[in-house]
Amino acid sequence: MESTSLVARVLAGDQDAERELYDSHVDRVYRLVYRMVGDGELAADYTQDTFIRAFDRLATFRGEAALSTWITAIAISVVYNGQRKVKRLRAREVDLEHADPVAAPAREADPDLKLKLATAIEGLPEGYRTVFLMHDVEGYTHLEIGSALGIQEGTSKAQLSRARAKLRQQLAEYAGDLAS
Amino acid sequence: MMDEREDRLDEWVRDAAREYNPPPPTPRAEMWEAIQAGRRAARVVPRPIHPVRTPLRWGLGIAALLALGIAIGRITVPSRTETPAASSPTSTAQTPAQPVPDQPVQSVTPNRGSRSPAPSGGDPRGRSEVAAVFATGDHLTQVETFLTEFGTRAPATDFAGQAQDLLTNTRLLLDSKRVADVRTRKLLEDLELVLAQIATLNPRQRRQDLDLIADGLAQSHLRTRLRNAIPAGSAIRL
Repeated sequence: MESTSLVARVLAGDQDAERELYDSHVDRVYRLVYRMVGDGELAADYTQDTFIRAFDRLATFRGEAALSTWITAIAISVVYNGQRKVKRLRAREVDLEHADPVAAPAREADPDLKLKLATAIEGLPEGYRTVFLMHDVEGYTHLEIGSALGIQEGTSKAQLSRARAKLRQQLAEYAGDLAS
Repeated sequence: MMDEREDRLDEWVRDAAREYNPPPPTPRAEMWEAIQAGRRAARVVPRPIHPVRTPLRWGLGIAALLALGIAIGRITVPSRTETPAASSPTSTAQTPAQPVPDQPVQSVTPNRGSRSPAPSGGDPRGRSEVAAVFATGDHLTQVETFLTEFGTRAPATDFAGQAQDLLTNTRLLLDSKRVADVRTRKLLEDLELVLAQIATLNPRQRRQDLDLIADGLAQSHLRTRLRNAIPAGSAIRL
């Protein structure tokens, strides 16, 4: 209800309401985006883009989902599109430079479990990784994740379960260390 | 036993994952400023509305309809390409439009759905303006990708060559005079400055130079302005 009136005020051209909307959601968006990209400048760029788009499209917000979920959906779309561009460019540069695969972090070389975990998270398929970060790291509910990603709540649960299984699989050989 | 071990591992993963890409404090003010600048830049400047008299309005309507008809005609009706012989001054006088039997007449019907303008006929100035719009869009997409990448890559990567290429294209677009839109020209001018800085990075003072460039990028909100200037759906061409 509160967000509905806030949206109405923004649409009526109330500048204070724009700032209020931004202040209410920016931390959550920035945190999630940063978790996904791990780079301050990119995270700021993507967050800015998210809000520019959100303000531009606010008239299309129907209130079917929470405003926060609607903005999160935009943020995820912005991050996916932006990261695809970055990856494509990187892939092209790697081709051009004939980069040596030896440069990739060696599996056995680093015993640091947290680094292993970070590498394992990076290696998750895009959808699994997003669900894992949203649920296990940022505390989103499956309902929120489902709405933001346009998937069923059950699909979100299944993807989280698969993400965890993949991480367990990746870290299995180090599991003994955890027991100690 | 196995489940217990898995649970323990899951629990550890959840705890440890909170340290994965830990977000710093949100740069609220900087981002808000950039958002405002981006939205201002994206706003279309409203054109002054002049009252148009009814007869003039009718005249304009008819002219627009005629122009549309001519345009549709040029796109849909196949035209003939002049053979080299037919286009020479001597042969023109002899056989104005006769196809040569051994050389089938090539249809120049444009590819429908293609973005390319018609290769023959039409206003050459209009065609070059359309080409300039596409060229500018492509160029801005490439610069945006480059700057995004520039902000994330380790400074060891050599960006100077790429920046030099993009700088050359930026200058060509500015010199072509086909880019008439004031905002786009201003954007290109700002990009030229940044690209020139990147192209002439001093390897010994690199960190300092990179910081200066990053500051310049942030202050002029170049990335945001770039994204707003790139038409929706324009894909990067690699």
